[in-house]
Amino acid sequence: MAEIKQEPLSKSKLEYLRTQRTKEMRQQMVSFGMMIFLTFVAFGMVAMDLDSRFVIPIVLFMAVVQVILQFYYFMHMKDKGHEFAKLFIMTGMYFGIAFVVTFLYITWIGSPI
Amino acid sequence: MAHMEYNVPSERWPVHPETATLEGKNKFVGFWIFLAGETALFASLFATYLALKDSVPGDDHLLAAELFALPLAFVMTMFLLTSSLTSVYAVYHMRNNNFKQMQLWLAVTVLLGLGFLSLEIYEFVEYVHLGHTFRTSAFGSAFYFLLGTHGFHVAIGLVWITGLILRNAKRGLSVYTAAKVNTAALYWHFIDVVWVFIFTIVYLLGVM
Repeated sequence: MAEIKQEPLSKSKLEYLRTQRTKEMRQQMVSFGMMIFLTFVAFGMVAMDLDSRFVIPIVLFMAVVQVILQFYYFMHMKDKGHEFAKLFIMTGMYFGIAFVVTFLYITWIGSPI
Repeated sequence: MAHMEYNVPSERWPVHPETATLEGKNKFVGFWIFLAGETALFASLFATYLALKDSVPGDDHLLAAELFALPLAFVMTMFLLTSSLTSVYAVYHMRNNNFKQMQLWLAVTVLLGLGFLSLEIYEFVEYVHLGHTFRTSAFGSAFYFLLGTHGFHVAIGLVWITGLILRNAKRGLSVYTAAKVNTAALYWHFIDVVWVFIFTIVYLLGVM
């Protein structure tokens, strides 16, 4: 298992791979820019002291967008061969959301037991 | 790994070096299972924090809105977000078979992570001076458990990536070391994912 099984790549193939990777890097730079932008907006909205009923959903939504960018572009989840990765993370998030909703309900929303 | 080939010419460098071996493939799948478990772990800590937020025993204890300061949280976010980008650079250079650049960007990642961790330690010390400790209130316990677990993950990541830089410094790049770098990068991104929720739920919703 130690030796490399790669067939020698031709010059043009190598060139093609490089361009593809540079293209992907450009996408990652764009998503980084968006993450910075979302962070600025989120902090800005909270610093401006707007109505919290209006700010909270937006800030939470922007966090979810940032996490999707991080997973899909930075952690390459958009690439082929990440079906299991998606399945695992989705399962983890399913449990995670269940924990958070349950705890919020029993402490803050539901009537005292 | 006695027969491992190091620093092969780019013509023979696999298209996906991190999953070119069976070990690399296993590492990749296994690590995503681990990250799913981490998701559930952090979610349970978030749930605990949200349930116990501002639960203090008396009026002399500070609440979230009086405690947290946005500028510090903002700077910490920038540190961690940028370090996530620099580890993307490291993986990019790893795939392009550029060992020196990969090492350089891993080192930048470690420095940014160190910056983040020092700010977090500074923050904790400040809070302790203000009477907000692990033991003074349920709010404090939940806060330090959540933030502390995240900070501990950052510390592990720093030791891990530093170890990779030092260990690989002499032997260079192979499909064996490429899988290791890729896994560490995934871990580092995940730390940033958790931080996105921390700065949103703990800091942004905390000061409102």
